[in-house]
Amino acid sequence: MSKSEPRLPLTPAVFHILLALFGEERHGYDIMQQVRADSEDAVKMGPGTLYGSLDRMIEVGLVAKGNTRDPRRIYYRLTALGQATLRAETERLSRVARVARRQLGTA
Amino acid sequence: MTSPARPKQSRSLRLYARLLELYPPSFLQRHRAEMLQNFADLEEVAESKAKLWLLMGKDLAMSLMSHFFGSRLGHYVIAVLVTWMLIFAIGYFFYGPTPGRPALHAFAGFLPGMLAMYFATRLYGTPPNSISHFFRSRFDISVIGVFVAWILLFVIGYYFYDPTRGHPALQVFGGALLGMLAMYIATHVYGMP
Repeated sequence: MSKSEPRLPLTPAVFHILLALFGEERHGYDIMQQVRADSEDAVKMGPGTLYGSLDRMIEVGLVAKGNTRDPRRIYYRLTALGQATLRAETERLSRVARVARRQLGTA
Repeated sequence: MTSPARPKQSRSLRLYARLLELYPPSFLQRHRAEMLQNFADLEEVAESKAKLWLLMGKDLAMSLMSHFFGSRLGHYVIAVLVTWMLIFAIGYFFYGPTPGRPALHAFAGFLPGMLAMYFATRLYGTPPNSISHFFRSRFDISVIGVFVAWILLFVIGYYFYDPTRGHPALQVFGGALLGMLAMYIATHVYGMP
């Protein structure tokens, strides 16, 4: 993925991590709990999935290590590209949901 | 002088720490401490051990597969499996279904053989990327011991029961041996992910 533009669609894990980090630096356990709350228990992420995803997201520039100093934890934050990607994916999902509602007659 | 008392680790945490050894060393170097801390936090709030381990089992399986199949060794395993399937399909197409289905039985042994060798190498061995280090470690000697025992069992079975079509156990044994050997060579040639 290019470091300058969002590449969609995102996997559910990546989308939820971006969402959890929006507006706040969080450490790993906090991200897991926030993802669980945001998805109403639908996405339960373990440490292996979380840190594997974070590594890949740091590599493509969506996430960076945060500035919060804590000897026991590493904090993560969204980058500008991460924020743009989250907005673009949210917009894409909204369009899909609109089409789905229209097809199902629930619009 | 007495050293400060360390909080006692639960059995689950110790087991999880052991299972973490299945991840690539570079990944562990970055995240081991935090993963253990996260596990301890999850354990503290878990409704039951069963629910905790269900989540952890799924997480380990999914993330380990993702690490493995993204590596050169993983690509090699995919190539081996595809080749095996091609040979199986070609054989089936040209010769029809062989009575006793030996290829299927050998394949059933091949897969767990590869998997067992991969886990054993990850947990006990640190194979260098060169075949010239053969015979140098205790792990290699253990592997050779297992191979020899396996071959002996195979030969004894073959000697007593003949290579008749009705002996799938022997075919599974042979397949497992081949699988272990294939993975052993692959870990030495490509290195562990």
